[in-house]
Amino acid sequence: MFRSTMCKSAVIRSVFTRAAGATCALLLSSALHAASLSGIGQPITDAELVNWDISVFYDGEGLPEGSGTLEQGEEIWAGKCAMCHGDFGEGVRGYPKMMGADLEEFHETAVDNGFNVENRGINNLWAHAPTLFDMIRRAMPYFLPQSMSDDESYAVTGYALYLADIIDDEVEVIDADFLRNLEMPAAHLYYTDTRPDVSNTRCMADCFEGELEVVGKRIEGDFSGSD
Amino acid sequence: MSEDKKDRIDNDQSDAMQRRRFLRQGAAAVGGVVAGASSTSALAAEPLAVPPTNKMMGRPVVATPYGLPSKFEANVLRRNVEWLTPDTTASISFTPLQDLHGIITPAGLHFERYHSGAVDVDPEAHRLVIHGMCERPMQFTMEDLRRMPSHTAVHFLECPANGAMEWRGVQMDSVQFTHGMASCSEFTGVKLTTLMEYCGVSPDSTWFYAEGADGSGLQRSVPLPGAKDQNGQALSEYDQNEIYKDVMVAYAMNGEALRPENGYPVRLVVPGCEANMSIKYLRRLKFTNKPLVTYQETRHYTEVTSDGRIRQYTLVNEANSVITYPCPDKHMGGKGFYEIRGLAWSGRGFIKGVDVSTDGGKTWREAELVQPVMNKCFTRFKIPFDWQGEEHLIMSRAHDDSGYVQPTLKQLRDERGTNTIYHKNSIQTWRIEKSGEVNNVQINNV
Repeated sequence: MFRSTMCKSAVIRSVFTRAAGATCALLLSSALHAASLSGIGQPITDAELVNWDISVFYDGEGLPEGSGTLEQGEEIWAGKCAMCHGDFGEGVRGYPKMMGADLEEFHETAVDNGFNVENRGINNLWAHAPTLFDMIRRAMPYFLPQSMSDDESYAVTGYALYLADIIDDEVEVIDADFLRNLEMPAAHLYYTDTRPDVSNTRCMADCFEGELEVVGKRIEGDFSGSD
Repeated sequence: MSEDKKDRIDNDQSDAMQRRRFLRQGAAAVGGVVAGASSTSALAAEPLAVPPTNKMMGRPVVATPYGLPSKFEANVLRRNVEWLTPDTTASISFTPLQDLHGIITPAGLHFERYHSGAVDVDPEAHRLVIHGMCERPMQFTMEDLRRMPSHTAVHFLECPANGAMEWRGVQMDSVQFTHGMASCSEFTGVKLTTLMEYCGVSPDSTWFYAEGADGSGLQRSVPLPGAKDQNGQALSEYDQNEIYKDVMVAYAMNGEALRPENGYPVRLVVPGCEANMSIKYLRRLKFTNKPLVTYQETRHYTEVTSDGRIRQYTLVNEANSVITYPCPDKHMGGKGFYEIRGLAWSGRGFIKGVDVSTDGGKTWREAELVQPVMNKCFTRFKIPFDWQGEEHLIMSRAHDDSGYVQPTLKQLRDERGTNTIYHKNSIQTWRIEKSGEVNNVQINNV
């Protein structure tokens, strides 16, 4: 903008000078076509991001200082968690439960019996304990996210793991080291997408023989999803 | 009285009568070709009344400074399913695909999916931060983003749970509820690659994650070239090298600022991928060399497969299609001509073609694709259909430029069982009953 204004006045001033016009044409051209992206945004430092960059990786990177106990967790649970997730982590009114179906049974029979919300829990699905801490610290309690301290988040994470029968009541301290080293029951079952897992073809005629088995509406209020 | 006889009588009448005759003949001609059996209406004796709107003054300009649909379209609404979720702030609403034409979803009808409710983010205070493995970590205001080289593209967004209620059997007798977790919009914003270049993202960065400014602080990891999962398994070539190229940071949708429901003032758009990755209220992108493996990548958006293992990072929405007219929400109106219409889309690229069957999949005809046909975008298809009151099983089958052909429900169930949740992209069958009613059915054995 600045350059083109300059050029315009230069051209007006030396309207009979071809050289000035040519130079300005070049300047204009470079401003329009070779402009490198600059002057937009402000640099930011890690120090400015302490309140924002609270993400915790699966391997525990990003877990903060601090710790909690199961006793503290039990108390917080009663006040901030139980109304949705149940006193014993059983889940009420359709909210997620902590202890899902037995891991072995769940996965052996997944296709027939259900990877559904009634069966899903921390014990049979969550791959990494630090992820649980991350979720609780950033998004729980549901009605007041980011209202718990790091210590409180550790305590609640521990209590949720206890309700899911992943740790026992002998555990004394839940902190970064504890979560980083805790082996989650379902972790070894994970693998990354290998789809397409089915293959169809574009049959155009005589695509099947015999009768079709056509089924109409037969179920109601049945969904294997969740929130 | 036959048409001919009536016409002869009319021939002797006044100009006004001749005008009526002309209108009737027009209606009869149209009826003969298009509406078939409904020609009785062409014989109505009464002249058409002058509509009341011809005899009144209308509303002035800016009576509705932001225009709204006609009051007669009040039934065209997003809807939710009450029993689906325990809470409407962590829930989903569905786009009324049955009432839409073309490929663009009006912003007010775009499906909603919240994990902690919609929020009103102040655009003046909002910042987008880009940091992590890059030379120049930066923060951008909304004005900064609008100054940057812009990118506009039309893409669909689809929740991977689209169709999830139908795995075990027919449940939702409505295309709004079987396929309405998908919408398509023109987005404008800044390409991810522009931002990556500007911030000097390291070539060693193999992932980035995006985070939202809502109560759920939603986070998703997105692969870059070289991406491996937490166990060292490489993502597919496609996921590593193609997904990020179309990614954008969007501030506009269908020509105006994003709506709060869709992530105002700025959201990530990851075209072709499960819409959960297109983080709304976007506040941060961090470039890394590993995935976060967030809550949204373990407890949600993973599937137990038939071998008892858990499949993660099923990012791409594979080719899908559905007939939106006729459908359980739009029954037949009488014998004669119909145009079967529908939508097809593929997360891997362009829709190459759509085949339509009206006999349960025994024979198929290739439908016409309505231009424009675009990358990772709704594609409208249509094909003429003469209905003479028989029962029909109608279905559509899309294929894309990767060679993938939309599978049958049986193929998906044989592979994945009936209790999975996500990525149900199988061929949808509607049954046209002899009565003209249209119902959702499933073919279990082919």
